[in-house]
Amino acid sequence: MSATSMMMPEYLILATLLIAMLGIMVSRAHSTLPSWLGLLGSLGALWATVDIWTHHLKPEVLFNQSVSIDTYSLFVNVLVLIAAGSTILLGWQAERHHDEFPVLVLLSALGMMLLGMSANLVTLFLGIEILSLPLYILAASHRNSLGGEAGLKYLLLGAFSSGILLFGLALIYGASGSMNFTDFASAVSSHSPILGAGLVLALVGLLFKLAIVPFHMWVPDVYEGSPDSVTSFMAFGTKVGAAVILLRFLAYGFYLSPDSWGPILGYLALLTMIVGNLVALTQNDLKRLFGYSGIGHAGFLLVGVAVHSVVGARAMLFYLLPYGLAVIGAFAIITMISNGDNNVTIDDLRSLAYKKPWAAALFIVFMLSFAGIPLTGGFIGKFYLLQAALFAHQPGLAVGLVVGTFLGLGAYLRPLQAMFRRDGQDQALAGWNVNWAQIVVLVVAVVGTIGIGVYPTPVVHWVNQSANFFWLH
Amino acid sequence: MIYVNWVVALAAIIFTVGTIGVMFRRNPLIMFMASEMMWNAAALAFIAYARQLHDMNGQVMAFVIMATAAAEVGIGLAIIVSVYHKRHRLDIDEISRLKG
Repeated sequence: MSATSMMMPEYLILATLLIAMLGIMVSRAHSTLPSWLGLLGSLGALWATVDIWTHHLKPEVLFNQSVSIDTYSLFVNVLVLIAAGSTILLGWQAERHHDEFPVLVLLSALGMMLLGMSANLVTLFLGIEILSLPLYILAASHRNSLGGEAGLKYLLLGAFSSGILLFGLALIYGASGSMNFTDFASAVSSHSPILGAGLVLALVGLLFKLAIVPFHMWVPDVYEGSPDSVTSFMAFGTKVGAAVILLRFLAYGFYLSPDSWGPILGYLALLTMIVGNLVALTQNDLKRLFGYSGIGHAGFLLVGVAVHSVVGARAMLFYLLPYGLAVIGAFAIITMISNGDNNVTIDDLRSLAYKKPWAAALFIVFMLSFAGIPLTGGFIGKFYLLQAALFAHQPGLAVGLVVGTFLGLGAYLRPLQAMFRRDGQDQALAGWNVNWAQIVVLVVAVVGTIGIGVYPTPVVHWVNQSANFFWLH
Repeated sequence: MIYVNWVVALAAIIFTVGTIGVMFRRNPLIMFMASEMMWNAAALAFIAYARQLHDMNGQVMAFVIMATAAAEVGIGLAIIVSVYHKRHRLDIDEISRLKG
C-alpha cells in the first residue's frame, strides 16, 4: 500500500482546507460556502477512513517510522471527524461572521488525526502544535472581552506546557538516542536518570493538554470564554487527541517499565475523578459545569491508560465515543438556548421541560449518558473502565471510579432539576433558536448515545480491533 | 562527551529561567517570551544530543521547533495585542474576569 492511499483521510482534510481558504477569498463575506466545504471534507475523510479500514487492514509504518497507520489511528480518525463535523454544524449560524471558522476547525482536526497515528517524537510535537495553534485563535474569537481572555490564558498555558513537553522529549531523545517510540524500550532497562526526568517532563506536558488535576486550572476559564461550538470541539476533540497520544506513547515507548509510571497515573486519575466531579457540583455556568465534568471524564480516561493492559486501552477508546456524542448533543442544546452574547447558566434552563419538551428529553438523555445510567452509551463505557481497573487488581481505582460517578450524577441532576422548575414570568428561553444544522447534530448524538447503550456489540468489535495496536511495538 | 553534558546543563538552566519567568512575571508579553525561552532551551538540548549521537533527527527537530515557534509567536502576539486594545493595560492579575 502506498503512503498516499493510506493517508488519504489526512490528504483529503488538507485539500479541503486549502480549497476552503480559496473559497473564502472568492465568495462574498458571511457565505456558507466554507462551512459546506468543511462539512463535505470531513464526510469525505470519514468515508476514506472507513474504506481503508474495510479494505486494507494491514498496519503500516510510514515516513521513517514517523506515522503508524493501523486500526487505532483509523478509529481516532473517526472520533476526530465526528468532532470536527459536529463543530462546523454547531457553528453554522453563530460563527457565520467568522469566515475562517471551518478552516481552523479542520486544521485542528488534522493535528488530532496526526496525534492518533504518531509514532515518533517529531510527529508527537507537530500534532500537539497543529491541534493547539488554531484552537488559540478559535478560543479568542468570541466578540466580548471574555473571548480575548480565554484565548490569552489558553495561549500562555499552552505555550508553557508545550515547552515542558519539548524539554522532556529532548531528554528522552538524548537518553535513548532515537526519536521512535519503539526504540525507547531498550533504553528503559538501563534506568538512566535523564530518561526518567524526560519521561516526567513529557508526561507533565501531555497531562496539561488532557487537563488532569494538578494541571487543570485553565480548562474552566477557557471553556467559559470560548464560543459554544469551539467549547464542544475542545471538550471532545482535544481530549481525544491528548488521550490517544498518551496511550500510544506509553504503550510503545515504556511498556517494559509500567511500574515507573502506572501507579503515579493511577493516583492522578483518582484525584482527577474526585476533584473534577466534586467542583462540577457547585457550578452555575453550564460551560464551566461541562468544563469541570470534562476534567472528571479525563480522569476516567486516564484509568484506562494507568492500568497498562489491552483491556484498559479498549476501555479508554470505547469511553471516548459515548462521551463525545453526549458532549456534542449537550452543546447542540446549549447553542439553541444561547442568545449569542451571554453564557447559558443553569437558571436559563428553567421551564425548558414545559416549553420545549423534546429538547428537554434529549438533554436528559445526554446528561444520563454523562452520568453513566444504563441504556446509554456512558454506562457501557464506565462498565468497561471498571472492568479494566478490576482486571488490573486496582480496587482503589475502581472505588474512585464509582465515587466519581456518583458525584458526577449529582452535578448532572442540578440542570435537570432546573428544567422542571416552573417560571412565572415569560423571560425564560427568550433567545431560543433552532436551525437544521443543530438538528442534524442532535439526531446523530442521540442515535449514537442510545444505540451504543442498547446494542454496543459493533462498537465493541471495532474497539477490540483497534486496541490490537497494543501488541504492535 | 563531557562537552555535551555542559551544553545540556546550559539548556537546563535556560529552561529553568524560562519556567521561573512564566510563573513569576505578570506581564503576558514577558510570560510569552519566557515560554519561548523554554522552547529554545529544548531546541538547544536536541542539537547537543544530535551532535553527540551523530544523528540528524535532533537537528531536524530543532528546525521544526523554530518553525512552530514562529507560527506561535504570530498568533500569540496578535491575541495579546487584541486584548491590549480592549483594556490598554497588560497585567495578568487584572485579566481575571474569568476566575478559575
